[in-house]
Amino acid sequence: MEYSPTILTGGDGRSDDQIMAAHDRRHVRRVSDPGLPVSDGKGEPLVIMELLQRLRVKDVMRDHDIISVVRTDTMHFAQNLMKRYHISGVPVVEGNRLFGIVSINDIILALEGGWIGDPCQKHMATNLVVLEEDMPLAFALKYFENYIFGRFPVLNKERDLVGIVSQRDVTRILMRELTSELARLEGDSSHHGAQQGGGSPAPKSEAALPYYSMRQFVVVRNDLTNAGKAANEIKRMLGDAGVEKKIIRRIAVAAYELEINVCIHSLGGSITFILDPHKATVIAKDKGPGIKDVEWALRDGTSTANDWIRSMGFGAGMGLSNSKRVADVFDIKSTVPSGTTVLCEFNLPARG
Amino acid sequence: MNINDIVKTLDGKLVAGGESDRKVGTVVANDLMSDVLLNDGDDILLLTSLASDQAMRTANIVGAMCVVVHNAKPLPQTMCQVADALGIPLVSSPLSKYESCVRIHDFLSREA
Repeated sequence: MEYSPTILTGGDGRSDDQIMAAHDRRHVRRVSDPGLPVSDGKGEPLVIMELLQRLRVKDVMRDHDIISVVRTDTMHFAQNLMKRYHISGVPVVEGNRLFGIVSINDIILALEGGWIGDPCQKHMATNLVVLEEDMPLAFALKYFENYIFGRFPVLNKERDLVGIVSQRDVTRILMRELTSELARLEGDSSHHGAQQGGGSPAPKSEAALPYYSMRQFVVVRNDLTNAGKAANEIKRMLGDAGVEKKIIRRIAVAAYELEINVCIHSLGGSITFILDPHKATVIAKDKGPGIKDVEWALRDGTSTANDWIRSMGFGAGMGLSNSKRVADVFDIKSTVPSGTTVLCEFNLPARG
Repeated sequence: MNINDIVKTLDGKLVAGGESDRKVGTVVANDLMSDVLLNDGDDILLLTSLASDQAMRTANIVGAMCVVVHNAKPLPQTMCQVADALGIPLVSSPLSKYESCVRIHDFLSREA
């Protein structure tokens, strides 16, 4: 399983036209899996998970007074900027186009190597990992966890540089929002109860942000009262995002089957839903006991369900095969006794 | 066949989910929810004996226009709440599922 951080490449001796052309093609390269941008569902209270979904990168980034250099500025000039403004890196931009970043490490190398007088375009880093302004904050946190960088450039849909986000920016806004959220919850104790169980209420701004969404739902073992809430919430999110009805139904069916499976066949786990402009992904992950024979489990009508589960309308042995039937990409990995992970991906046509 | 027709034909009572002007597109009679999910039809009328929240959530996943629970089974309050929240009409009928199927078949045959 992987997701794709956007990496822009440019520079490296190419002409300006070549670099611009590369940007204009909006070249996106896939890198090795830095891990799913989700929590394991073990530690974070739902209120924090919701906050990480509701807040977008643009809510935390600095979008004014971005300290930057142009490609012809010298490394020495960049060094002085870093010194003056107490920052560890400066983006190299022309207009709104991002061409690279000069980091404190590049400056140290330039001082050691004697090329501090060279133009930035010769030594700037051009293999850049960037964030998009509409991504949930959870993505940004995962990027900070998976990459050594202390800050990321932020691009808009037109691929223009619109801000910079650092770990300090994230911490500052998160603290402010958490304080505000806690104050609200203390004033409305009934809200705590509403967040228990298989699903969680929708973030207020979800409907207005159709391009990137990610939610994780905790699924409790044998809690059939709440099972299905996650799938129904995913269906609602897809409707809000303007996805075609027939595709919504396929995704909802897979989410529902997987959610019920985690509920009735495992020790508990989670359903993670990721929506981006090109695909929707549903991931069911449980804490065990794992499936001994996955091939057998994938056959229609095979089930280990007991009578109680059957009396509740489940356990017909169709869950995995139904999910596989509706998904464009289906993957299952299971280890006894540590657990099972099922991935279903659905291709999405371009949305308006 | 609309909600009023369903209630009248099945000697039923609309207990939750509110009124709707949707018409029956496909009839599914089943108590196994995975089987219901297999159905690709639109505007499903779900005939079931399963009196649980899950029947309503399954109905929502497949975009059902109505759920009928048979044999006058007592409906859990939570099931009615889920029906209201999802806006799916929930009908209670004293008939058996088989009898409902026969009556709906007759009605739809006349309608056609």
